[in-house]
Amino acid sequence: MTTASAPKGRKKINWAPYLLILPSLFYLTLFFGWPMVQGLILAVKEDGALLTLHSEADRTSTLAGQLPRGIQVGILNRQGNTIPQEELGQSNLLTEVWFRIRGQDTKGQLIEGWTPEQRIRVRESDESGRPVTGSVRSILSSSADPLTRIYAEADEDSQVAGQMEARTPVEILDQATLEVWFLIRGKYEDGTLEGWVPSHYIRAQGDGTQGRIEQGDTSQFTTKYIQRMVNDRFFWPALRTTLLLIVLIIPVQFVLAIIMALVIQANLKGSGLFLYIFSIALGVSDLAVGILWYSIFTQSGYLNSILQGLGLIDAPLIYLSADTRYWILIAIWLAELWRATALVMVIVVAGMQAISREVLEAAEVFGANLWQRVRFIILPLLRPSLQVALILRTILAFQVFAVVIVLGGGDILTVLANETYRQYYDQRNVNVAAAYASFILLLSMITSLFYLRAVRTQEEVAE
Amino acid sequence: MTTLLDAQKPVVQVSPEVKAIHRRMLRRQRLGRALTYLIGILISLWVLVPILFITSMALTTPAEVRAYPKSILPFIPLSTATMEFFLNSKGILPGLRNSIVVAVITLVLSILIAAPAGYALSRFLFRGRDVFRLAILAVRAFPIVILSIPLAVVFLQTGIYDSVYSLALMHTALALPTTILVLSSVFSSIPYELEEAAMVFGCSPAQAFRYVVLPLVMPGIAASAIFTFVLSWNEVFAATILTIQNRTLPAQVLVTLNQSSEPYQFAGGFFMMIPALIFIFFIRRYLFNMWGQISK
Repeated sequence: MTTASAPKGRKKINWAPYLLILPSLFYLTLFFGWPMVQGLILAVKEDGALLTLHSEADRTSTLAGQLPRGIQVGILNRQGNTIPQEELGQSNLLTEVWFRIRGQDTKGQLIEGWTPEQRIRVRESDESGRPVTGSVRSILSSSADPLTRIYAEADEDSQVAGQMEARTPVEILDQATLEVWFLIRGKYEDGTLEGWVPSHYIRAQGDGTQGRIEQGDTSQFTTKYIQRMVNDRFFWPALRTTLLLIVLIIPVQFVLAIIMALVIQANLKGSGLFLYIFSIALGVSDLAVGILWYSIFTQSGYLNSILQGLGLIDAPLIYLSADTRYWILIAIWLAELWRATALVMVIVVAGMQAISREVLEAAEVFGANLWQRVRFIILPLLRPSLQVALILRTILAFQVFAVVIVLGGGDILTVLANETYRQYYDQRNVNVAAAYASFILLLSMITSLFYLRAVRTQEEVAE
Repeated sequence: MTTLLDAQKPVVQVSPEVKAIHRRMLRRQRLGRALTYLIGILISLWVLVPILFITSMALTTPAEVRAYPKSILPFIPLSTATMEFFLNSKGILPGLRNSIVVAVITLVLSILIAAPAGYALSRFLFRGRDVFRLAILAVRAFPIVILSIPLAVVFLQTGIYDSVYSLALMHTALALPTTILVLSSVFSSIPYELEEAAMVFGCSPAQAFRYVVLPLVMPGIAASAIFTFVLSWNEVFAATILTIQNRTLPAQVLVTLNQSSEPYQFAGGFFMMIPALIFIFFIRRYLFNMWGQISK
């Protein structure tokens, strides 16, 4: 495109155009560039793949290594720990409550300190349900220490502030909710790791000495989702059908589109009407087109009605079933030809309008027939338009979706975009869905580069 | 195919051979024209007959829709019962409302964001202009399927999942590249001299834009807006992934397709086609601006 009328560039930088394109740049980065990158990352990155072990039951303590999600671990010890504010709302937290109490210790002195909730029987609560007074529970086991320890902090490792006898009345001053941490030991890569982790990452089993790492806290790059996609039983059929449809549709479509364009460019009376009719399909959704062709191919549809009306069949045939996959393929082929040829046609017409009339007239005067004019003048001059149309059409063909769902039922005959949808919607597997989407992106880019290269080398050969 | 020969009506004496050649060429031209009409009519039938089929299904009684063999004659009997059945089905009217809301927001947003960029592309030669153009072309050519999944994840996290507004944001991203290119070509079709003249006569650049350029580009902008509306109205993949309760019309029809009857399906297919039939008629002259731009 030339902008002959644009003002000449001046020495001083003109900021106006940059300000004008800024909103669209911003918007496209936010809603196009960024999600695209995120989509690729989703396909190769597993959230919570690894669980970080700490050397002590404390988030700030030194790290003791990482264990992968899903392995069995032994639970060696447990301990309460203060919860970071942002995790308080989580529902799966295993917590214990500690009370800060005031009461007489064994020596008769009034002391203050922390003790686990289960050591205290609450006697009175205020209106809001907060415990106010209570008494120390007795320890039933005969072998255990009959005295209850009171700690300086809400932590069993902290200094012991004193001891209390059973049934000592106490005032409850405060309470703290602690998250339980587990000391776990697990085998990983021929070594054994041991360390403290918050208990909500672990699902304890049996008597509570064994468990399984449910969820990690660190993400990791993985080929797992890609493997799951490739091993999915629908992957190869979907890829095969998608490619087959492209190979079947695009050549026929381009021939048809060029014929349509020639009809419009012939400048007949009523070519405006032709243009309207030919481009109707441009505005029709693929879902509607799928339904349109379904009305023809369904068992009580138009195809059977016409065939029966002509006396060619006695009873309606079944086209769209698992036993007649080729009919589904034919129906999708016709529907896509019907729908998407308009797009190619419009691009080709736009390209033809750029071909100078004199060249064509000269060719005609010198006796070139229609085929010669198309083959030696129109097609070579149309090459840039055809290239763009090819790229666009192929990329759209990789995404064919609703037509296939309507005509192929979604699982009899399936395509890549349909598998993306199925993984997201039915399987609830965002990562594998992202892997499918990334695969479509990859295929689109490869074919685009292929078209660009193929056309360029042809031009180089021509020179 | 050409008017060259008509323009060269013999004005001087010509030999019989030349006249014979002339006649032969005229005959060939007429033959070619008839053949072109024939092909044009055949292709038109290929486009129109399926539309006629579904239209006559949608505008008849549900009993007739289920009947077999169907009569090839359309609209027998003519009835709105099938359409009424479809429109009164669960989720269709809310879906219709959602579709319109999404499409209108998409239209307004994309025109507002794209118009300045289109103006900049057509009026200024600035450093990075070609890179910007190329980037937009590339974005236009990227598969949209890959956008929906990560956007669904982000919308879920930020709590704006399953909303017509977030879907409109996504549709705007889809429509934006095409809209920018189309508006740029619309602005390019208005000579800069007009603006210059207005400024010579004392308009500020803003006034020149407001009183000279804007009235001239309004039809083009309207055409582009219509196209954006149709794009959003038709979009089904992202709409199905990004919404659950607030489905748009195509998404609603798609997810209920398996459990629905043929009258519902055919009426739905026809209903979704109506905007295309109307709008393409109004913007047919701008189609080449829209899609031709992409190939330049």
